[in-house]
Amino acid sequence: MNSTFTGIEIGKRSIMAHTQGMSTIGHNLGNAAVDGYNRQRIEMKAFDPIYMPGLNRAETAGQLGQGVTTSSIERVHDEILEGRIIKQGNGEGYWKSRDKYILMMEQVYNEPDETSVRGLMDQFWDSWQELSMYPEQTSARHAVLERGKSLINGIHRRYEGLSDIRDMLEQDIQGTVQRVNSILTEVSGINEQIVKIEAMGDNPNDLLDQRDRLVKELSSLVNITVSGRDPDEFTIHTAGMHLLQGRVAHYLSAEPNTQNEGYSDVVWRESGEGFIPQGGELAGYLELRDGDVREEIQGLDMMTINFTDMVNSIHRDGYGKNGKTGQDFFTEWPFVNNVSGNYDRSGDGEFDSTYLFRITGNNSLDPQQQIGLEGTISLSGRQQNVQIDYNATDTVEEVIHRINTSGAEVTARLDRNGRLNLKASPAADVDNPDFVIRHVEDSGQFLAGYSGVLTEPGEAGAYDWGQADAVTALRGEGVDYSVAPLSHPAGWTELNPAIAEDPASIAAGLGKNGETAEPGNGDAALAIAQLRNGDVMVGKYKGFSDYFSQAVAKVGLKGEAAERAYETEKEIMQELETMKDSISGVNIDEELSQMIKFQHGYAAASRYISEVNKMLDTIINRMGV
Amino acid sequence: MERISSNMNINDMQYQLEKRNKSMYELNNKMSTQSKISNLRDDPLAAAHSTRYLSKITHLERYTKNAERVKSEHRVAEGYMQSANSVLHRIRELAVQGGNDTYTKSDKQAMGQEINQLLNELVEIGNARNPDGTTMFGGDNTATTPYRVLSGNVPNADGHVITEVEYRGSIKPSVVEIGEGNYVKKHFAGNEVFWAEEQQVFSGTNAQNYVVANDTSIQIDGEEIQLNSGDNIHNIIAKINDSNAQVKAGLDPVNNSLTLRTTSPHQMFLEDGQGGNVLQDLGVITEIGKPPFNIAEDAKASGGSLFDMVIHLRDRLYAGDTIDIGGSALKGIDMAQDKLVSSISELGAQDERLQVAMRRINSEIPELQEQNSKEVDLDVTKAITELKRLEQAHQAALGAAGRMMQPTLLDFLR
Repeated sequence: MNSTFTGIEIGKRSIMAHTQGMSTIGHNLGNAAVDGYNRQRIEMKAFDPIYMPGLNRAETAGQLGQGVTTSSIERVHDEILEGRIIKQGNGEGYWKSRDKYILMMEQVYNEPDETSVRGLMDQFWDSWQELSMYPEQTSARHAVLERGKSLINGIHRRYEGLSDIRDMLEQDIQGTVQRVNSILTEVSGINEQIVKIEAMGDNPNDLLDQRDRLVKELSSLVNITVSGRDPDEFTIHTAGMHLLQGRVAHYLSAEPNTQNEGYSDVVWRESGEGFIPQGGELAGYLELRDGDVREEIQGLDMMTINFTDMVNSIHRDGYGKNGKTGQDFFTEWPFVNNVSGNYDRSGDGEFDSTYLFRITGNNSLDPQQQIGLEGTISLSGRQQNVQIDYNATDTVEEVIHRINTSGAEVTARLDRNGRLNLKASPAADVDNPDFVIRHVEDSGQFLAGYSGVLTEPGEAGAYDWGQADAVTALRGEGVDYSVAPLSHPAGWTELNPAIAEDPASIAAGLGKNGETAEPGNGDAALAIAQLRNGDVMVGKYKGFSDYFSQAVAKVGLKGEAAERAYETEKEIMQELETMKDSISGVNIDEELSQMIKFQHGYAAASRYISEVNKMLDTIINRMGV
Repeated sequence: MERISSNMNINDMQYQLEKRNKSMYELNNKMSTQSKISNLRDDPLAAAHSTRYLSKITHLERYTKNAERVKSEHRVAEGYMQSANSVLHRIRELAVQGGNDTYTKSDKQAMGQEINQLLNELVEIGNARNPDGTTMFGGDNTATTPYRVLSGNVPNADGHVITEVEYRGSIKPSVVEIGEGNYVKKHFAGNEVFWAEEQQVFSGTNAQNYVVANDTSIQIDGEEIQLNSGDNIHNIIAKINDSNAQVKAGLDPVNNSLTLRTTSPHQMFLEDGQGGNVLQDLGVITEIGKPPFNIAEDAKASGGSLFDMVIHLRDRLYAGDTIDIGGSALKGIDMAQDKLVSSISELGAQDERLQVAMRRINSEIPELQEQNSKEVDLDVTKAITELKRLEQAHQAALGAAGRMMQPTLLDFLR
């Protein structure tokens, strides 16, 4: 038998359900403009009808419906699309960081313009040409001095610009690690709440939205994949490791690395093991800081040290107006200040290495002459020594070319007097110091007797940097070498203060036969000027023009690639987000028409209740009175 | 997409506006700098090429400047040399006259006087200086006066007259770069320009058994010739002859000693390399004194400068020695004049080289500038048209965006 108040109950249920529907609509409309909001839909279903089969079943037609109830509130959400958006976020974040920073690097160059380092070097060169025309004049020397100062300032500025970029990247890396950690903390908190709510059988839609937003932000910072397969444990993976497992977060940390000039390595906080992100902004920043920008600085350093070393070599041979000779034109602080290049690398108070930048042989060689010797030269390379073979029929020029194209971190050239120069290039590996020759060995006589670099062939005569006083392996008293710079030459090179005080010391001429140069001789100035155009081996580039032009092209091409890639990633992201919007976004008209449905439903339910009320009123108040 | 949410239109419009704004901004930037390249990424390869062009243009401008300066200095030097030539011409006339027996002794003495004056004039020319005070004919020793004059008494002359003119300058002219690897001499060396006869030096020391002890070198006219230990006199002679020095070495058959002879008239400068003493040991030079005053005492040297020839002529005239005047003295003057004229024509040839180089550079510079311009300069017409197009599209988009506030269902529900 039905209860008297069943009707009202049914009406009441309908009103409740429709009110909830309206609330949901109201919620959707309110959040329509919120970023990342997924619209919510209320699912209504019929209330359990009566009567279920049983012994106390009433003898009447069944089953009688008992109204409506809300079964769940779902958000309209495509999980797979979300996964694609997260993946896209990895790529977009990476290229965004590259695009931004490479643009900064490009601007440091100031090309093609007269005020770039290249333009200043051309001006410097020009002043030496003038001096070679008028070696007797002091005014020409003043010009050399001033142009030299401008050039050094230009180099310093470019160095500082690049160094500042590296510092900014460091800050960004630290900031990003902090942000990642704070996102992980937030998400783990949300996960905890979500698990509790889901255990009650509810859908924590808004929390899920919030979590999605955080995960999307995280995806632009690091490369992640998300796995919600286990509903109790929402997992975020990165490169095969867990970043977050349910409530447990594995945090990252930025630890300073002394081998890398104090810049931080990103490690897992718990294990201390290194973490190398493969995508996202963090990967971009790390690659830029330790790859692209570091290489630019190395290139600038290499250009500077080759330039100053070569100018100094010639200048030392020349004579100033006041007859002074043996003066360096450029100096640098700090330098390894031990004359044999001895250095204490491990910091224990004892010399344990030799830091030489350039070794020059004793003998004057003719580039076209066939050497008539054979053997294998061994020079330091990136991971291990590089072997270079030579045969009897090779000319000196060919052997030099082979050394320069071998990939060793040592380059060779013949200087003005035909002697063999071996110069160190920047080290590709962060653990090795830049501009230090680490190993020179020859199984034959080319480096030993022929060019006069080593004392003997074979392992016994090899030069190795891993001991103090390694200069004893070099041949003879007259071996000319230069000591390596301790820190970035581009940042610390200066004009020799002695020259700056007395411009008359600037050498213009070369003497002959050990005598002072004649006042009208401008050969030293001319030789210095010719460094600008000559094949002087600036690292692996043939000359300064090559270095400048290649440096510009490299950065420009990187920038072009970054810009294009970033544009493409943005377009793709835009497409994906539009698709998501299409599925999950709120359409006002749709909501309003739903609202009309619920409004009518509500009105109808109210009407029904008043009708039932009237019926009850008839029975209770009017029957039999 | 089947379903359009309310935000999609707006988001899309924002995104496109942003893109277009960026393009317009960049284009405006380029137009104000007139350069296609506001950042290196805009055209990396063009930027790379441009750096080379700009450097090359600077270098070429410098070469032109150098060439022009050298040219004007040469002009001045040529003027002096021509002047010396006309002096020599007059001297020759006097020589021819003086070789004629019809003139009396006092006539000849008077001629000698005139020649003395002309000699002074020649020394003045030899010691000429450039406007900036550097010497013209002293090689790269531009501070010291090239010719030092010694005077004394000469029979039949009035008072002190010049007895010797010594060359104190250097033999090496400095060079100036007028093109890549292209050099031109800037100074003139008096030991060449104002020389007359081939010089010869005969050593007095027997060199048959001489062997070089250590690796060393000798310097002849500034050319360094390497000698190895164990070389004998024949090796030495062969090396000297193979070298670039304009000197021929030989072995004197009588004394078995070293002889050196110039192959074109100039004064030899002989020196031992640092720490060596081969030429000393061979009896060519002495330890003391610098070239060219270091010829050994028992070596015989012959050959004279232009001044020597004139002094010789003048002294013959003072002495009244007709035969010599018309003979060896006149020949000396002729040789001096020959050498001077050939120096002048060498100058002329150098001048022509300079002209050719300058012409070539002057046509290369504008070509490079044009190439550079093609790489980096903005094509203004294209840029303006593009800007106009973007502006129009922008207008249209903004207009459409303005109508984004569409009526919704709300407007129609009562």
